[in-house]
Amino acid sequence: MTIVDARKLRRVFPMPAGPIEAVRDVSMSIAGGEYVAITGPSGCGKSTLLQLLGCVDTATSGSLSFEGRDIGRLSEIERTRIRLLRIGFVFQRFFLLPMLTAWENIELPQAEARIPARARIARTRELLEYVGLAERANHLPSQLSGGEMQRVAIARALANRPALLLADEPTGELDDETGEQVAALFDRVNRDGTAIVLVTHNGPLAARASVRLVMKSGMVVPA
Amino acid sequence: MTGFALARRTAARYKTRTTLAVAGVAIIAALNFDMLLLSRGLLISFADMIDSAGFDVRVTGSTGLPALRIPVAGAARLADDIRRLPEVDDVAIVRFEPALLRAADGRERQISLVGTSGGSTRGGWTLLRGRDIDSRDSRDSSNSIDSNESADSPPAVITRRLAADFGLEPGSVLRVRAGVPGERSVLPFLSYRVIGVANFSFEAAGEYTVATTLEGSRALGEGNPGDEADVVLVASKPEAGSDAAVAAIARLRPDLHVYSNQEVVEQFNRNGFAYFRQISLVLSTTTAVFTVLLVATLLTVSVNQRLGEIAALRAIGISRRHVAGMLLWESALLVGLGGAIALPLGGALAIGLDHILRRMPGLPEQLHFFVFEPRAVVLHAALLAATGVVAALYPVRIAVTLPIAATMRRELGS
Repeated sequence: MTIVDARKLRRVFPMPAGPIEAVRDVSMSIAGGEYVAITGPSGCGKSTLLQLLGCVDTATSGSLSFEGRDIGRLSEIERTRIRLLRIGFVFQRFFLLPMLTAWENIELPQAEARIPARARIARTRELLEYVGLAERANHLPSQLSGGEMQRVAIARALANRPALLLADEPTGELDDETGEQVAALFDRVNRDGTAIVLVTHNGPLAARASVRLVMKSGMVVPA
Repeated sequence: MTGFALARRTAARYKTRTTLAVAGVAIIAALNFDMLLLSRGLLISFADMIDSAGFDVRVTGSTGLPALRIPVAGAARLADDIRRLPEVDDVAIVRFEPALLRAADGRERQISLVGTSGGSTRGGWTLLRGRDIDSRDSRDSSNSIDSNESADSPPAVITRRLAADFGLEPGSVLRVRAGVPGERSVLPFLSYRVIGVANFSFEAAGEYTVATTLEGSRALGEGNPGDEADVVLVASKPEAGSDAAVAAIARLRPDLHVYSNQEVVEQFNRNGFAYFRQISLVLSTTTAVFTVLLVATLLTVSVNQRLGEIAALRAIGISRRHVAGMLLWESALLVGLGGAIALPLGGALAIGLDHILRRMPGLPEQLHFFVFEPRAVVLHAALLAATGVVAALYPVRIAVTLPIAATMRRELGS
C-alpha cells in the first residue's frame, strides 16, 4: 500500500536576493514497510523534502497525498492530526522536552492522541524496553547521553504506531559507535513494518536502506 | 500530560526565571492590592465610624463643615418633637466647644468639649474605665462614683490620652474654661469631675476630647447660648429604618437639613473622597500595566528561547490549542503565585502606609485609609486573572503562528 505519493513537488523560498528553489519537481512514492535514504550535499533540499513529506511544510506547487488523502486540501488541524497519528519524526537535535522524563516524553504524543491511561502506560513501557532504556525511564534528557536521547526520540516517534517514520540526520550529533546503535534500531523498526525515510550524510547509515535516493540542487537524481 | 502539568514542569525547570517573575509580580500586585484597599478604605472606615455612634440620622442647621455650620436653635424642644415621632427610637443633642484645660501644675492645653444630652447610652466613644454619662447626670449631679467627686461639678468622660498625659482618673477634677489658647478671657475656670475614661471614635491624633452633659457644656461661659445644638443625632426604630425617619423629620422641620448615615457617606464619597478614588484608579491601572509588561516580556523571552522545542512539538502533532494552553498556564502560574504572595505582602504594606497616613493632623484616629474587605480580594484575583491572560496573548501568538519548517531550519542552522 502506498503511504506517500508525491507528484512534481516544488518548494520555492522567496528571498530578498531572489527566490530559491529548494525542491524542484520531485515525484516519488513510498510504500508501506519501505526504507528510503536520501543523501546529498548540504543545502540540496533534503530536509525541505522531508518536511514536505511530513506535512510540516506546504509545497509551492505539485501534489502530495498521504494514505490517499490530498494534503493540499486538508486544514492545519487535519495535517496536525496526521502528524500525530500517522507520522513519526526524529530530529538531529532530538528536541525532547527538557522538563519531562524519558517516560513522559514518550507518553506525550499518546496523551495528545487521547490514548487511555492503561494503554498508554503499557505502550510506553513496551517502547522503553524496545529501545533498551527501561532502566532510564525516570531520567530527564539532561541526564541521558546523546545516543540515549536519540533512542528516546525514536520511541516517542513510534508512540502512536505511525505508518511512516521520518528522520532528519538522526546520527548527525552522535559518534560512530552510538550512530551504529541508532542505525541498528532503525533497521529493527523497519523490520517490524514501519516505513522509514531518512535524510543523512552518513554513508553507512544510508547503505542500510532498501531504496537510496540522491538529491542535487533540489532534484532527485540517479544514485 | 495537560497544559497545566507542562507549565508546572517548565516553571520548576527554569527556577531562576520563575523566581524572578513571581517576585516581580508579587511586588507589583501587592501595590495593586493596596490601591484596591485604598480605593474604598476611607469610605468604609468613615461609614463604620459614623455607624459606631449608634445613630443613623443627623439633623443640622446647614450644610458644610461642622465648624462652619449654623447651630440648630431650640434644640431641646426639637429633640422632644423628634422623639415623639413613631419612626424614632432615640435622640441626642450634641454641642462642640473649643475649651482650655488647666492642669494641677498650671499647664494649659486646648481641648474639644462635647456636650451631649442625657438619657442616651449611645455615643461616639467606648468606655475603658469608670462609668458613662447617663440620664442621672442631667438631673442629679450629686451622683458620684467616689467620695472625691464634687457634687456640684458637671461630670466628664475624658479621652485615654488626656488621662495618661495629665495623670487623671475617675474621681479627678478638671479645670476648664471656654476659649482657645492665646485668647485673653475673663471667664473663670470651672471644675468638672472625671467619671470615666474612654476611646473617642472621632478624636484626631494629638487632640484631647472631653465629653460632658449639655448642662456641663452650657456652664462653660455666660456667652454660651443655652439651647442650641451643632447636630441632633437620631436613632431610627429598626422596623422603620433611617429613610422613614429622615422623611418624618424633614416633614416636621423642613427648614433643617436631615441626612441618613448612608447619605452622609454618599456625600463624602462624591466630594471628599473622589481624589483617593482617582489616585487609586490611576495607580492600580499603572501597576496592572506593569504586571502585564513584566509577565509578557518574561514569557516572550521564554518562548523565543524555546522556539525549536515548540516547533518540534508542533511537528510531532501537538495541537496549537495545547501549546497555547501550556503558555496560558505558565502565565497563570507566574501571576497566580505572585498574586498569592502579594496578599500578605500588600496587607503588611497597607498597615505601614495606613500608619503613616493616619499621622496627618486633624484626622480622627479611628479613620483608616486601607481597609480590608473580601471584595478587594475578589477584585484583586479578577484583575490578576485578566492580567495573566492579556500578558500571555503575545507569546501565545508567537507560539501558535510559528512556521514549523522555517523554525526548525533556523534552529538546526544556528
